[in-house]
Amino acid sequence: MTVMTGAEALIEALKEEGVEHIFGLPGGAIIDVYDVLYGEDIEHILMRHEQAAGHAADAYARVTGKPGVCFATSGPGALNLTTSIANALMDSSPVIAITGQVPKHLLGVDAFQEADMLSTMIPNTKHNFMLRDASKIPRMINYAFKVATTGRPGPVHIDFPKDVQNEEVDVKVPSEAGYHKKIKLEPDEEEVKKSVEMLSDASQPLIFAGGGVVSSKAWPELRELVKRLDIPVVTSNMAKGVIPEDDPLSLGLMGMHGHMEANIAIMECDVLLGVGVRFDDRQTGDIRHFAPKADVIHVDIDPVEIGKNVRVEVPVQADAKTALKRMNQYLKDHSISRSADQWNERLEKLGEDFKPKMDYDDEPIKPQRIIKDFMEVLDDDAILTSEVGQCQMWVAHYYKMKKPKKFINSGGLGTMGFGFPAAIGAKVGRPERQVVDMAGDGSFLMNSQELATVVENDIPVVVAIFNNQYLGLVKQWQDIFYDERRSETHLGKSPDFVKLAEAYGAYGDRITRPSEIAPKLQDALDSEKPAVLDIVVDPDEHILPMVPAGGKLDDMLT
Amino acid sequence: MSDNMSYHIFSILCQNRPGVLMRIARVFTRRQVNIESITAGLEPSGNSRIIVLFESDERMAGYLRRVLERLVQVIDVNPLSEETSIVREIALLKTRPLEGDKKEDTLYKIEEIGGRILEVQGDAIIAEIHGDHERIENIIQEIGPETFDEIARSGQVYISKKFE
Repeated sequence: MTVMTGAEALIEALKEEGVEHIFGLPGGAIIDVYDVLYGEDIEHILMRHEQAAGHAADAYARVTGKPGVCFATSGPGALNLTTSIANALMDSSPVIAITGQVPKHLLGVDAFQEADMLSTMIPNTKHNFMLRDASKIPRMINYAFKVATTGRPGPVHIDFPKDVQNEEVDVKVPSEAGYHKKIKLEPDEEEVKKSVEMLSDASQPLIFAGGGVVSSKAWPELRELVKRLDIPVVTSNMAKGVIPEDDPLSLGLMGMHGHMEANIAIMECDVLLGVGVRFDDRQTGDIRHFAPKADVIHVDIDPVEIGKNVRVEVPVQADAKTALKRMNQYLKDHSISRSADQWNERLEKLGEDFKPKMDYDDEPIKPQRIIKDFMEVLDDDAILTSEVGQCQMWVAHYYKMKKPKKFINSGGLGTMGFGFPAAIGAKVGRPERQVVDMAGDGSFLMNSQELATVVENDIPVVVAIFNNQYLGLVKQWQDIFYDERRSETHLGKSPDFVKLAEAYGAYGDRITRPSEIAPKLQDALDSEKPAVLDIVVDPDEHILPMVPAGGKLDDMLT
Repeated sequence: MSDNMSYHIFSILCQNRPGVLMRIARVFTRRQVNIESITAGLEPSGNSRIIVLFESDERMAGYLRRVLERLVQVIDVNPLSEETSIVREIALLKTRPLEGDKKEDTLYKIEEIGGRILEVQGDAIIAEIHGDHERIENIIQEIGPETFDEIARSGQVYISKKFE
């Protein structure tokens, strides 16, 4: 037992949890925590906006598999974090957000920089609490990490009043907390048997893999199952790369901006195995016509997801990795296999028929060409983050990824401004990898102040702006569904992004011709500096095919 | 909402921590389900027991149950039924001043159904009735809601029929 302050106890407890990086921004109500951080080994990345700190911690968690930690002060600082914490919740990312709070005696009297974060964070976190008693800090921090990482991962918010930060206590670090929630990881034997038999007996089986396959590290087991039964796979954009997207069994992204062959497969399959997916509205389209011929098997660790959106014949509440492992074992033990047949051939042929054209030589540049050239220049291990909108969908639809955890995007909440701070978190977590933010000119400006962060901290990420001078995806909807009435989507004279980059001390370059894409991307990477590439693209190019919101999946606009 | 609406009662065992009631209540709010009554009390174990009465279809009730069970501070969610538990609610009824036979009639009805007269002031009555949610609704309808100036209802309390 050692006497220390609450703030010291917090930092000690974080070190016990193995925290090496914190993304944050100090302020009056968390100054005592920052005072302890001064001279500590933990690396703190000073961000320029709290929302960005949250996104960076989120992406850090997604690429490293360790919880990402972010700090902010009370009131506006904490409220600014709310969007990114909600984003982490939607995408099941383990983030530990710690914010200062006014001293306990000022709670509830509208003190300076006081916001009711306990109430605000309830709907936006997996769990949240206030540290009211400094003696419990080591145990509560351990508890927070357990909550964030056990079962379905998710963010935890901790509100930390200033008087508790300064309270002197006799505490023991580390301190182990119990966790009363029982998480069912193992599937029932009967469920395994039934799932496997249904899949192997099916004439048109299909697997739909989602983010749960990534968070449970289940891709090796998924690949084994796919090979044993020769079953085609479609993915959500959270699961890109869980099966190599150049594999003939990979049909790629499904859903609103998915591949036609993937959506046709959903509509025609007779058995559908969903693993770690939410069946959300952007994936299913009109729920009444989703997978109309299929018996659905749904594997998810979170029982809330099973049966929430689609009817399920075989619910398998279990960890994806464990469930898939058991299915493979059953196949092996009973020598069950299935070989590619007409169904596979048909889907493969559809894939050929709908093979997207990417080698455009047009000026202004077509976004498809950017994806093609980036795929050629970047390593297979490169991490792509993205902003939200057309830029995100260009990557989701066209970029073929061979490995998982290479596409970090805001899947559920669709948070513009996500990609750049996410790139920072990804680069800090995986400094040896190339990290590129695939950005739009609209969403990049929502967190472009982080150029100061990357320059100051020497974080060499590349921001590739698909500059069409529009809020492109909204404009696309207006073009198609609102009679080309482009209300408030034209951004007009955007800043000169090259000069903007240079003003911050970053590398900047402009690309206007297709032939410049590959060499200028290479130059940006070689500069080993934070870089912004302003790529002038055709503003009239739509991301197609697409299913109109609430439409049937195979009823795609092309 | 489908046509198959019915009353459901959840007995929710949860940790007794600040904010737990709000966490539970907002699960219903977010799904556009109105809470008809809610009661909270402490168990001998130190945990809280929160009992919620709401109207929804079966599918929504099942979904709400799973979302509640997912809350970190919730230990158990138990849907109550007449087969497994005894559920009671108390209502205190204050009438308007009643004219002529109406007063005698009301006094008679309340005593007939096993209610108690707590106070009579001039022509107005305060009475206590108890029963399950439906029974109390029926009594109020039978006497006539216009009879009453004020009605205070306790929400649900229950005890399981299982003997340890």
